[in-house]
Amino acid sequence: MSAYLILIPVLGALALLLLRPGQARIWALAITMAVEALTLFMLSDFDPQGGLQFGVNLPWMADAGFNFHLEADGITMLLLLLTNLLTPLIVYAGFSRTLASESRYYGLILLMQGALNGAFLAWDGLLFYVFYELALIPIYFICAIWGGGDRVRVTLKFFIYTFIGSLFMLVALLYVYLKTPAPHSFQWEDLVAVQLTASEAWWVALGFFLAFAVKMPVFPFHTWQPDTYTSAPTGGTMLLSAIMLKMGLYGAIRWMMPLAPESMHVWMPVFVGLAVTGVVYASIIAIKQTDIKRMIAYSSIAHVGLIAAGIFAWNKMGVQGGVLQMLNHGITVLGLFMAVDILERRLGSRSLYDMGGIAKSAPRFAALFMIVLLGSLAVPLTNGFVGEFLLLLGIWQYNPWVGAVAGLTIIFGAVYLLRAFGLSMFGPPTAQTEGFQDVRHAELAVLGVLAIWVLVLGFFPQLILGLTDSSVDRILSAVQF
Amino acid sequence: MKAILILFLTALVVLFTGLTGRRDMLKGITLAGLLLALGVTLMDLLGGDAGNQDTLYANMFVFDSYALAFSAVVLLTLTLIVGLSGWSFRQLNETLGDHYGLMLFSACGALVMVSFTNLTMLFLGIEILSIPLYVLAGSRRRSMDSNEAALKYFLMGAFATGILLYGFTLVYGATGSFDVATIAEKVRIATERKNMLHIGILMIIVGLSFKISAVPFHFWAPDVYTGSPTLVTAFMATVVKTAGFAAFYRLFAGAFGDAAGFWGIALSAIAALTMTLANTTAIFQQDFKRMMAYSSIAHAGYLLMGVLSIGSASGGGDQAILYYTLVYSVATVVAFAVYMVVSEQNQDNTFLAFRGLGHKQPALAALMVLSMLTLAGIPPTAGFFGKYMLFVSAFEQYTWLVVLAVINSAISICYYFKVIVEMYFTQEENAYSASMPKGYQWALWVGVLLMAVLAVWPGLVSILVG
Repeated sequence: MSAYLILIPVLGALALLLLRPGQARIWALAITMAVEALTLFMLSDFDPQGGLQFGVNLPWMADAGFNFHLEADGITMLLLLLTNLLTPLIVYAGFSRTLASESRYYGLILLMQGALNGAFLAWDGLLFYVFYELALIPIYFICAIWGGGDRVRVTLKFFIYTFIGSLFMLVALLYVYLKTPAPHSFQWEDLVAVQLTASEAWWVALGFFLAFAVKMPVFPFHTWQPDTYTSAPTGGTMLLSAIMLKMGLYGAIRWMMPLAPESMHVWMPVFVGLAVTGVVYASIIAIKQTDIKRMIAYSSIAHVGLIAAGIFAWNKMGVQGGVLQMLNHGITVLGLFMAVDILERRLGSRSLYDMGGIAKSAPRFAALFMIVLLGSLAVPLTNGFVGEFLLLLGIWQYNPWVGAVAGLTIIFGAVYLLRAFGLSMFGPPTAQTEGFQDVRHAELAVLGVLAIWVLVLGFFPQLILGLTDSSVDRILSAVQF
Repeated sequence: MKAILILFLTALVVLFTGLTGRRDMLKGITLAGLLLALGVTLMDLLGGDAGNQDTLYANMFVFDSYALAFSAVVLLTLTLIVGLSGWSFRQLNETLGDHYGLMLFSACGALVMVSFTNLTMLFLGIEILSIPLYVLAGSRRRSMDSNEAALKYFLMGAFATGILLYGFTLVYGATGSFDVATIAEKVRIATERKNMLHIGILMIIVGLSFKISAVPFHFWAPDVYTGSPTLVTAFMATVVKTAGFAAFYRLFAGAFGDAAGFWGIALSAIAALTMTLANTTAIFQQDFKRMMAYSSIAHAGYLLMGVLSIGSASGGGDQAILYYTLVYSVATVVAFAVYMVVSEQNQDNTFLAFRGLGHKQPALAALMVLSMLTLAGIPPTAGFFGKYMLFVSAFEQYTWLVVLAVINSAISICYYFKVIVEMYFTQEENAYSASMPKGYQWALWVGVLLMAVLAVWPGLVSILVG
């Protein structure tokens, strides 16, 4: 069943790209909804205590130990849920814009969805790598064709940056692969079973870290991110920030930590340190931004940095919080970028100083924006609260001082998010915001669904925690150092 | 052997048909001959009796599965090139038969190069391959560039052959034989005349490096590639390179495997220089053919990793080279095919020729994207699996080289993506006439199909070889 999560979007993508039907948006929405339905069906069938499920194992280069091997555990299910819940919303969000060569745009989004599902399901190291890279091609085209500003240069920088990072992962993967008993194998269990010396593991961990640190991004590998997020079209920014960067976080949990635990006593302080530095650094920069899209780009670095720190701390609270927060961050950041898109389309500007008084003319928009924003702020009874609480607890357990510094994110977050909200929604209306049209149709639906998720997951975090709990335990106990 | 005979006879028929003035039949005859040769080769390969083929001419060649597989790659590539030829050769009148004839003769040389078991045969093969190419490179007689290319190619080729022959002589002096198996025997046990042998091996490396255009013996390649007619350039970049690497691996695995510790140092340095220099130079090219010239040099650098795997226990270099040359050849031919149409329609040899192709001719642009991604080795294209196999083959002994190759693959994005940027992301658009030249379509589709099949089923090649 899990193979269909890859097959349906990829075939749909090929159909849209090659046949170029009219009404491509409707087709894309239908296909993504079908995938979402399939995901929910799988979720209902999934037993959180039951270990690996929905396995598929087909030979690809069988004599080289490379197989099309998919498995799902609770963590995978959560990320599948994230991908397939949000992709229809991203598609639907595109309805409020008219795009040149529409079929191509939606085709690429579908290709992206297939690749992301593949990366989360892959149980074979090389297969993970293949999907991880495959996701890069559609997003490159999405950003470079429909983006604005200096898009060609910015997206090429993004592509090369991430491509170099993941090539180092390939080298690390090959190194471990060649250490497996002959005939070699890329299967997860076989790779994990390899015992490396501390110095070998040091290099292997570095290779993986470079790939994932660029993708997340972790300070100081983040320099591509603000430019790319700002110049990309909204759909591209949403895909990048809500789903694609989770591949880096997921990769750290699934591949980096388990494959090179022998070096973690050396690397862990460095990784956690960099992640927490990024939290503080990006928060401070976010406060100074006047371009609201850029501000959210930086806030995303801060939030992801916190998730990364929790994962690198590698304890129950940290990883569990990280996994939960991956979903939460996807939901809230999608909502924030949707709000930015609405603002930009109506006002023709993203500068906070061109805004003001919008709450008066567009109360529904202001309310939904507020809910999503509170989720991002991790206010109690929103989705972000439990996740960030667990993350901070995990980091605190690792080292109280680091935990205290990481905790600053909540204060900083309140500063820049509330400042942005205040400047845009309250105060005297400007000439542009005078007749600001309230949200309706697609906009209302997308923002509304996201706001509902923010509240539902805020009230019932147990829904998700129960899904991933035993999987997190299993991976933690499999990887000890 | 059957394939060589078929090609030779076809070439003769083509030459004489060309004299009678039946121009319209030439392409058909050539294709028929090639397909027949390809079919016979594949049947031998799949028939499984490749191992007990008769050795010919006093044990001077053996058509084992290695030879048959590389023959198939050469024949397949040439079939694609000939398939594209009708349009680009349309201005030729009385010389058309010569063109096809020379290509076929050259391919005969390539087949000898992949099947030799004796140094004299290798030498003959290289010469049979090269001499028709000198003529083809200069076939645009009124073009200064084409004449320059021919002269340069000829001089450098002659120079390289001289060095190669000198190397053969020294190896003969050290081991007393031209026979590959006998040389291997001597290399394994010999303690005397070791220096002579080593100098001989080094000179062979230099000579072959000229042929496969590895740095620092590559400098002829950009000028020759740019000056030659595009289809001839495609031939040089694919068929010649495939045959060159097949011969390189066959010779070094067959004869000098036990001296790998010695020549591995020199060859790994050449490989490192080749990939780094070629990739960094390619970034600065404006002319598409020049870029492809440097790209082909860079791929020679990657392929050398396959040759370097001879010394390591894991091996697998032969299959990696086979798969890689096949994928690389197909992608290169497709890229040149698109370029020929585009540059002809716009009278432009630079990247600018591709402006706006993505909007005006989506199918052609998509083909170009596929071949650029394949050449850049981005997963899940076949180019990635090729690189993967080469990396694995060299990983244990030359980890540093693999890391360097990885960095180089990232650099190569810069120039392969230049084409994509021009096709899709620019505001200005060229005018393209809507029609694709006749006979083009099927060759392109075969190319795309091959790239797709090889990506989905990378194990196919190793199954074929068995």
